[in-house]
Amino acid sequence: MQQQNNNKPLPQLHNTHVKLLAFDLLTLTPPSSPDHPFTRKSIPITRAETLGTITLRDHKPGKFLRFAIDDGTGCIPCILWLNHLTSPHLARRRSPQDLCLLSDAAARSFSNVKIGAVGRVRGRVTGFKGCVQITVTDVVVERDPNAEVLHWIECVNLARNCYNL
Amino acid sequence: MEPDEIKSGALVSLQDLCPSSPFFKQGASLRVVGKLLEYSLETGLATIIDGDNSLIVTIENLKDLNFQVDSVYQFIGELLIQPDHEGVLQARVGRNVDGIDLDLYHQSLLLLRQFQANHLNN
Repeated sequence: MQQQNNNKPLPQLHNTHVKLLAFDLLTLTPPSSPDHPFTRKSIPITRAETLGTITLRDHKPGKFLRFAIDDGTGCIPCILWLNHLTSPHLARRRSPQDLCLLSDAAARSFSNVKIGAVGRVRGRVTGFKGCVQITVTDVVVERDPNAEVLHWIECVNLARNCYNL
Repeated sequence: MEPDEIKSGALVSLQDLCPSSPFFKQGASLRVVGKLLEYSLETGLATIIDGDNSLIVTIENLKDLNFQVDSVYQFIGELLIQPDHEGVLQARVGRNVDGIDLDLYHQSLLLLRQFQANHLNN
């Protein structure tokens, strides 16, 4: 485990879907180069989970769906790629079977993105035009009216006790 | 959709929406929760209440939402302050949140504000 200056061990969050509130996620420190991850207090953050109300939706058929998740502390831009079966870039790197599975998963997530719904979004933390965004892996609709409140409490608790605030 | 065009609805209680409140600003993006007291599809106006406080919400943009008096709704939109200094929320997003624990919601709002303030101070 990495050490901080005060000898407190830094948590290892690589490949963990870190639950962060939008205001926190949107202020992650940008990487020094595109190959490196965003960081929060020197801790690399590669994946994130957010939960909030879907407030914007911009669909480019066969290419991508952009949407925004508003959790009450900020709006997180999200991008769901829909080009698994047409991208030459992906065709060179993944098997046809993998791409079919990814395409099916993206289609399921796509159907869950509706304005006004509350979505739980997981994905990779990436940058777009100098801002943080989530490149979406999956979207699940939350129907429990208390889900957002529980997410806020969980994020505060994790930030205080686990993510080294 | 550019990142800077996305406005988040700040979490407020209806009691926060008095003219002296920092949230009571023309065009402020807000998120409110309250019980539906009355609504009219003809005028496109609804009134929500939370305790002794109430707020008028324009619902004309929420064509897909079913309204039911005494149900609890959450709205996100922009505040329009009328010449008589009354605030009206122009809702762009809404949903039914029947079953929400309003006590937990209000307590969590305070916790969240405190956490955000501490985070910004650090």
